[in-house]
Amino acid sequence: MTVRQLRLLVQHLSFIILTYGGRLGLNLGQALPCFSCPFVGPGCAGSCYLIGLQGRIGFGMVLEDLTSAWVWHPIGQFLLFLFLLALLGKAWCGWICPFGLVQDWLTMLRQKLAIREMVITPAWKKGLAPIKYVLLGYLILVPPLVTAGILHDDFFRPFCNICPGRSIMPLFALNPSYLAINNNNDVFLGLSLTLLAVTGGLPVGMFFKERFFCVFCPMLALIHVLKPMTILGLVKEPKACVGCGNCRRACPMDVTEVHLEKVKPDVQTPECIDCASCVEACASDGALTLKFWKYKLFTSSRRYVAGLAAKPGRRLVP
Amino acid sequence: MTMTASPNPADSRRSRLLGKVGQKDQSLHQQQIDQLRSRADFTPELDYFLQVMENPWPAAVSERTGRPLAAILCLQAPLELFQAFGWQPFKIYSGSYVTGRLAANDLPAIMCPMLRSALGAMQLQSGFLSSFRAWVLPTTCDWVVKFTEMMKISAGLAIEETSLHRLELPHLKDQDDSRERWLEEIYKLKKFLEKMTGRVLKPGKLREALETYQRAYAVLSRLTELRRQGAVPAVWFTSIANSFFYDTAENWTAAVARALPAFEGRPRPGAGGRVFLAGSPIFFPNFKLLELMEEAGLTVVADDLCSSERLFPGAVNISDHSEFGLLSALAERYHQGCLCPTFADNDRRVNNIINPAKREYFEGVVFQVLKGCHPYDLESFSLAGPLQAEGLKFLRLETDYTAEDSQNLLTRLEAYRHHLEA
Repeated sequence: MTVRQLRLLVQHLSFIILTYGGRLGLNLGQALPCFSCPFVGPGCAGSCYLIGLQGRIGFGMVLEDLTSAWVWHPIGQFLLFLFLLALLGKAWCGWICPFGLVQDWLTMLRQKLAIREMVITPAWKKGLAPIKYVLLGYLILVPPLVTAGILHDDFFRPFCNICPGRSIMPLFALNPSYLAINNNNDVFLGLSLTLLAVTGGLPVGMFFKERFFCVFCPMLALIHVLKPMTILGLVKEPKACVGCGNCRRACPMDVTEVHLEKVKPDVQTPECIDCASCVEACASDGALTLKFWKYKLFTSSRRYVAGLAAKPGRRLVP
Repeated sequence: MTMTASPNPADSRRSRLLGKVGQKDQSLHQQQIDQLRSRADFTPELDYFLQVMENPWPAAVSERTGRPLAAILCLQAPLELFQAFGWQPFKIYSGSYVTGRLAANDLPAIMCPMLRSALGAMQLQSGFLSSFRAWVLPTTCDWVVKFTEMMKISAGLAIEETSLHRLELPHLKDQDDSRERWLEEIYKLKKFLEKMTGRVLKPGKLREALETYQRAYAVLSRLTELRRQGAVPAVWFTSIANSFFYDTAENWTAAVARALPAFEGRPRPGAGGRVFLAGSPIFFPNFKLLELMEEAGLTVVADDLCSSERLFPGAVNISDHSEFGLLSALAERYHQGCLCPTFADNDRRVNNIINPAKREYFEGVVFQVLKGCHPYDLESFSLAGPLQAEGLKFLRLETDYTAEDSQNLLTRLEAYRHHLEA
């Protein structure tokens, strides 16, 4: 089995568990560092941490009553989130996120149809990169304003109201209700129309560009901000790299730094999702490694690229 | 080999020279083949490669492959693209020192011996130019750039402009605009081949071609692994690699796969005398250095010659199955994945030597410079320092295709062997 096949297997299992596992009574908490959307309904086996972060970040609430469980619960969830994050880092994005898999399905469909992938030039990439931090700031800063009474309650969970996960993931539980336009007031109308536009436009982007949404994902930004805590990561041995650029081509996020880095071993960039595609594509023995703490999980080798470690000759050209 | 009349029948002297050189070249060729067949480590599985090298001429290759031929001088032209159009890329034969005599007078005294040899060899073949439907010449080193001019001057051969395509190689690899320019060149090559073949490139055909070359890469990689263990003598590795251009990739891959078990079962030599061979390429029948190294007790376990381990890039990584995606992947592999010394930002080329050295496959580097091969000549000096800093013992040898310096080279190689053991 190749790493790509293993990743697909893990992604599908996690999709099934996170989307439908709740029906079997499975509850993995409310601190998952990926887009496991509770709006899916009772089937959701664990909730995206961003929803909890938005819902409970109100400082007024925290300071209201330190003896209340309502105060300590978010702290416990935050610690759980940090623990999960520290353990698997951005593998949550590359290996577990159900919304990531939905994007990968669209990519596989595009590949099957041999349709050209949209090219995001480095200049565009540079321009788009801050958006995820803006969204992260939005979802962190707006809720306290609601708690403080500066903004209306309608802005509660401001990101979820425009998150494509909320509209798309419930469709897998045959629930299209979040596609509806909410005309209760101007705020809801504006947010629901935004969500509808995002839901309509984003799949087009996701079809033509691999992992298109991840470019804007605030969870990716949050995980990267907390990068020093994670023990899973991508490292490079610069003296083993011949600069062939296979890593760059294989990268679903079009990361260029892994290819261009000539000195530092740390190549875990903000956009990296630890999918290990670059490690798989690298034919220089030992140049790239996906590392868990001090253990090498998977290291690049010509043997692997040549298909000698798995089914001969079938990996790179599926 | 077919002898031809001189381009100028009135010139009987020229005609005599052609006859004499042709005869001598044929004899040298056969002598080398016989020598390889008589080696103790020859096995029947290796005979395929000798049979191919016995007759690497256009007519024979055309008949062997059943495909139209496209002449190339340099591996910078993406081979898979020819394959996708059903054509056979044919590397101009350039390993004989004898044929160089035919090109001696009208060319610089010190010039690339491979191209000198090629210029001579093409005069020995009747209808050489018409054997090829197309010529694809990348602008890699200066010699390759000026090759068509030298053909006119030295051999009186002019390629028709309509069948000639030049690939202008950007000599920077790490810059985005260079990558884009090279991709444009690959698109131009695609259009040229479409015009010449009268066919439109189908992504499915290109994918098939990539799969074919991926299979070739797999067997070459396995052979390389065995070589790292000292199980594949350099003369055999080079014979196998050299024969690649004179039969289809499919036949070659099958032949290598058949030959692999013969090497897998071979006793491995001791750890002493294991070296990396770098520098100018080595083409059949010029196995002088390989044989001398063997005689001196040195085992070549790795190389970065474009005639051997860098025979073709392989490992083309496909993430987009459209024509654009496939051509981009191919272009990048042939550009950024190439370690040719003609690139300006080639500083990471040294890692191709340091990395296997760290895995303790070898302790020394022999760098061959063919006189007149300027890019490698220059790079031999820039590589020496970084390699020595890594603790590798570095030997620079300057030679040519003639056998006159054999004894001198052997003495130096033997001394180097002692130096490695010290």
